[in-house]
Amino acid sequence: MDTNKPATAYDNRLGLKGWMYAGRYSFERYLYLGHRLSGLGLIAYMILHIIETANRIRGEEAWAELMALFASPPFRVIEYLLFAMAVFHAMNGVRLMLIELGFFLGKPTEPVYPYSTSVLRHRPLTYVIMFLTILVIFFGGSSLFFD
Amino acid sequence: MRETRLWSLHILVIPILAILLGMHFALMHYSPVFYGTSVEEAREFGTMIERGRNVAQFLLYILFLAAGLYHGLYGLRGILRELPLTPALVKVVDTGVLLLGLAIFALGTYVTWWTFSAKIGG
Repeated sequence: MDTNKPATAYDNRLGLKGWMYAGRYSFERYLYLGHRLSGLGLIAYMILHIIETANRIRGEEAWAELMALFASPPFRVIEYLLFAMAVFHAMNGVRLMLIELGFFLGKPTEPVYPYSTSVLRHRPLTYVIMFLTILVIFFGGSSLFFD
Repeated sequence: MRETRLWSLHILVIPILAILLGMHFALMHYSPVFYGTSVEEAREFGTMIERGRNVAQFLLYILFLAAGLYHGLYGLRGILRELPLTPALVKVVDTGVLLLGLAIFALGTYVTWWTFSAKIGG
């Protein structure tokens, strides 16, 4: 096999579609997808946020106009979505770090059918973390909308 | 080894980001809960300039900027590098992401410094 060939030579590549579906993806796989998408959203926002807050250099009036725009209902919804993305990304990141460090994976066992995989062994942790994520997104969001 | 170091740094900045992002959210989005002031007050020009003159705030924001940009852009680089790129395009991605990061960091640092040294309002 020619290892110098670019990967495009393979015809089994699913590309971006493969992120979404390639058959029997587990719950964790969709969390991985969510982690990526929220990460991309957050870095895009961070860059835009740095650029827009640079507006302060134009003076008090320009700043006040910008803040009035951000106080409008559409921007409050966007702000809430950003908050939700940040919470999801952080909480799922905690799960990933715990697994990366070897927690909640159980001890290695003989591969006897029905197989017990590390993914299944840490799934209770996944459910707990996702439940907490939903709680934080729900209750944290309420104070963004109601001062 | 270089990639291991870059990845380790990506992981090591997480606690810094978690703390500083939490503080940023508390200050700018949850000020009624944590500081007893309205969000609008927290975002007023004068209040923002006053806060920005604080040395600790200045240093923490530079750290936040560096940590956030590094963590985010390293993640972006990883996603882009998964594409079927030629070695030349991998270099374009690496250099492009680095330059973008440096440009945004320079802008953010300049604005933070401008706020820190602002003469507005005495």
